[in-house]
Amino acid sequence: MIIIVSVLIIIMLAAAVAACIFKDLLSATIASCMVSLIAAVLFFFLQAPDVAMAEASIGAALVTAVFVIAIRRTRRYEE
Amino acid sequence: MSTIMIIYLGMIAGGILLSFIRMLVGPTASDRAVAVDTITTTIVGMLVILAFVFQRYVYLDVALVYSLLAFVGLCAIARFLERGF
Repeated sequence: MIIIVSVLIIIMLAAAVAACIFKDLLSATIASCMVSLIAAVLFFFLQAPDVAMAEASIGAALVTAVFVIAIRRTRRYEE
Repeated sequence: MSTIMIIYLGMIAGGILLSFIRMLVGPTASDRAVAVDTITTTIVGMLVILAFVFQRYVYLDVALVYSLLAFVGLCAIARFLERGF
């Protein structure tokens, strides 16, 4: 169990770093979507399924949709 | 937790890791979107196995909500890629 949680935490950390360094803002949005998805799984491992549900609904659906709409209104690539 | 469950969860963690490598090195945004969708599907399977391990069948609702909301997020990204939202 501890090994799986460690793998998930390492993937979450690497996805957060990748969201910071991507120049394509859509890819950065996808990486931040993945960070919140794995955070939901970690809440599930800590036996808090209601917090996991809230995190998945806000982080995966709402924030991603808002960021995609914001990218559409502005530029896609960062200089 | 029995041995077979540990083997299942280890294989699922390996699948997540390989898909994550595809997410990191993918040249275009479409590759990354598909990789995140694969990771989501794999994680739904892991949540169902964990609901069996913890012996709490209420936890299956989390897997349902998780897959539905990840689908909504990926639909927003795919619509942006195809015709600019």
